[in-house]
Amino acid sequence: MSFLDTKPGVPLLESDDLVRHYDVNRGLGKPSATVKALDGVSFTLEAQKTLAVVGESGCGKSTLGRQLTLIEKPSAGQLKINGEAVGDLSDKDAKMFRRTVQMIFQNPYGSLNPRKKVGQILGEPVLLNMDHLGRKEREERVRDTMAKVGLRPEFYGRYPHMFSGGQRQRISIARALILEPKVIVADEPVSALDVSVQAQVLNLMMDLQEEMNVAYVFISHDLSVVRHIADDVMVMYLGRVAEKGPTEEIFAKPLHPYTRALLASAPKIDPAQRVKAEPLTGELPSPINPPSGCAFHKRCPFANEHCAQVRPELRMFEGREVACHRVEEIA
Amino acid sequence: MALLEVKNLTVEFGSEDKPFRAVDSVSYSVDRGEVLGIVGESGSGKSVSSLAIMGLIDFPGRVTADSLTFDGQDLLKMPAKKRRAITGKDIAMIFQDPMSALNPCFTVEAQIMEALKVHEGGNKKQRRERTLDLLNQVGIPDPKSRMTAYPHQLSGGMSQRIVIAMAIACQPRLLIADEPTTALDVTIQAQIIDLLLKLQDDSDMGLLLITHDLALVSEAANRIQVMYAGQLFESGPADSIFAAPRHPYTQALLEALPERSTGNDRLSTIPGVVPGQYDRPKGCLLAPRCRYANDHCIQDRPEVTDFNGRDVRCFYPLNDQGQPTGQATGQTAGETV
Repeated sequence: MSFLDTKPGVPLLESDDLVRHYDVNRGLGKPSATVKALDGVSFTLEAQKTLAVVGESGCGKSTLGRQLTLIEKPSAGQLKINGEAVGDLSDKDAKMFRRTVQMIFQNPYGSLNPRKKVGQILGEPVLLNMDHLGRKEREERVRDTMAKVGLRPEFYGRYPHMFSGGQRQRISIARALILEPKVIVADEPVSALDVSVQAQVLNLMMDLQEEMNVAYVFISHDLSVVRHIADDVMVMYLGRVAEKGPTEEIFAKPLHPYTRALLASAPKIDPAQRVKAEPLTGELPSPINPPSGCAFHKRCPFANEHCAQVRPELRMFEGREVACHRVEEIA
Repeated sequence: MALLEVKNLTVEFGSEDKPFRAVDSVSYSVDRGEVLGIVGESGSGKSVSSLAIMGLIDFPGRVTADSLTFDGQDLLKMPAKKRRAITGKDIAMIFQDPMSALNPCFTVEAQIMEALKVHEGGNKKQRRERTLDLLNQVGIPDPKSRMTAYPHQLSGGMSQRIVIAMAIACQPRLLIADEPTTALDVTIQAQIIDLLLKLQDDSDMGLLLITHDLALVSEAANRIQVMYAGQLFESGPADSIFAAPRHPYTQALLEALPERSTGNDRLSTIPGVVPGQYDRPKGCLLAPRCRYANDHCIQDRPEVTDFNGRDVRCFYPLNDQGQPTGQATGQTAGETV
C-alpha cells in the first residue's frame, strides 16, 4: 500500500527528466526516425494543487499525460508517487498505481463505451480494483459518485448516447473519481464543450478538488481556462519545458518569448486587455527534425547566433524556471 | 443597398406537420467591406444558416425566406444554374476543418485550379500562374513546391491557407467563414484571422465570420449577432454589445467566460443545456435557463424589438446596469441539470 500513503515533505507526484521517444517508419527503404515527443520534462505536483500544461498541438502535452497515467511507459526518466519510483513495477503494484492516478479524456463522445450503461461504465473500475466489494456495495459506490458529480440516480441504467456533452463529461469525471485517486490527469476536459457548459464542468472540477483532495494535471490549450483553474503553469514547446511557475506571475509577466507570444495570440474580449503584438510567424517545427539550439529560435524575435547553436536549459529567474538564454535582457 | 440581405430565413428539417426549425426567422445583412460576426453555442443554427445561403441544404431540409438577396438578386427565386454561377464565385465559403475540406486524392494545385476552371475559364498556363499568385497571397512559404503537395503533407494551418486561397480564387464579394480557426492553435489562429481581415480589407469584401469564440468575434467583427437555438437573440455593434449586453443570454454567456471572472473562485453558469429537437420550450427559448424569466416568458415567445438601437429578442431587455427593464420580477425559473 506504499503508494497510497502520503508522506510529509514528499511531493505527491514527481516527474524526473521524463523522456518518451517514438520510432516512426518513414517508408520503404528509408531509415526509421525518432520522434522526441517528450524530451526531458521534470516537475512536481503537491496534493490538492492544479498544474496546467499548455502549448500548441504537437508540443508533447498529451504524451506527458499518457506517461503519467502509465498508459505508456516512458523511454527514460523517473516518475515518483509519494517518493516511490514507479518505473519498474510488478503487475500488482501497477494496478495499485492506477488507482492513484486516473484520467479524464478530451472527447466525451469517444471515451465512453456506447454499449455499456452508465452504471456499468462506472462500476467496472470498482470491479477490477476493489474486488473485496460485493455487488451491492459496488452499486452503492457508483450511486454515491454519481451524486457527487451531479448525475441524477435514474441515469444509472441509461446509455451514453442519451446524454449531452456536458453530462457525458460528468460521467467521465465520475469514472476517474470512483477509485478515489490522488491525482487526476485531465486532457483538455472542456475543449469539446460550449461556454455555458464548460463553466459548469470547471466549477464541478474545482468543487471536487476541495471535497476529495485530488490534485489535477490539467492539459489545455485554452489560456483563459488555465488562468482560472491552475495554481501553476508549465508551458511546453516541442517536448521540452519553456517556462514554469505560479499562474498569476506567468500571466502578469510572461518571461519566455514563446509564453509571451502565446498570451498575445489569444483573443481577448475586453479591449483594454488586448496586447498589440506581431503574431508569431511560422509553425511548430517537426519533432523528427528539431532545429539546433533553442527549438524556438526560428520563430523567436529575440533569437541570436547563440540561440541557434546552444540549447538553453531550464534555470531559475525571478522565482520561475525559464529556458531562455536571453531572459535577463528581455525581462 | 446591402451586399447580402437575409429576411426571415427559416430552415426546417423533419416531417411537414411537425417540423424542427434549425433556423427560425433570422434576418441580417452584410455590407461591402464589413465583417459581421455570428456567435452562438452548438445547436444555435449558425452553421445551418450559412449553408442555406450557399444553397447547400439538401432534401429533406427546407429553406424558406421572405427574401435572400445578394447584390439585388434574390437567390431563392433564380434558376439553379444561375445560382450555382454565383455561389463559389461571388459568394465563397471556408469550412471549419481544413483537413476534411480538402480532397486527399488531389494536389493543392489541382484543387485550386478546378475552382478557377469552372468560374473563370482561361487556359491551363494562366490558371497555374493564378494559383501560384494565390498561394503567395495567402502567405504560403515556398509556394512553387507546395503546388504539387497533397493535403496530408501540409499542417493544419497550411491547409487552412489553401482553403482560403481556394475561396478567394474567383475574387468573391462575400466570404463566409464557418469556424475558420476552431481546429487550429492560438498562434496559428491569430495568423489566419489576420490574413482573412487583410484580404477582406484589400478587396472590400463582405465577411461573415461564424464562430463560438466570443473573444475572437469581438476582436475581428464590426457587428455581432448572438444566436441561440435557431433564433437571433441580439445584434449590435461589436464595441458595445459585449460592453453592455441587452439580452440576458448574452450577459450570462459573458459571465460564464473564465476571462470575465478573475478574482472569483467559481464561474457563473447557465444552468441546463441548449434545447434540442424535442424539448423546445413553449415560450421564450431561453426561459428555462434564464435567471430573470417569469410566467410571461414561459408562456409567450418574444419577438425581435429595437431597444436603444440594438435588436433584442426579449420582453425585458437589460439596461446599462445589467438589470432587466419592464416588469421582470427577477424570480428564477431556472432548473438545474
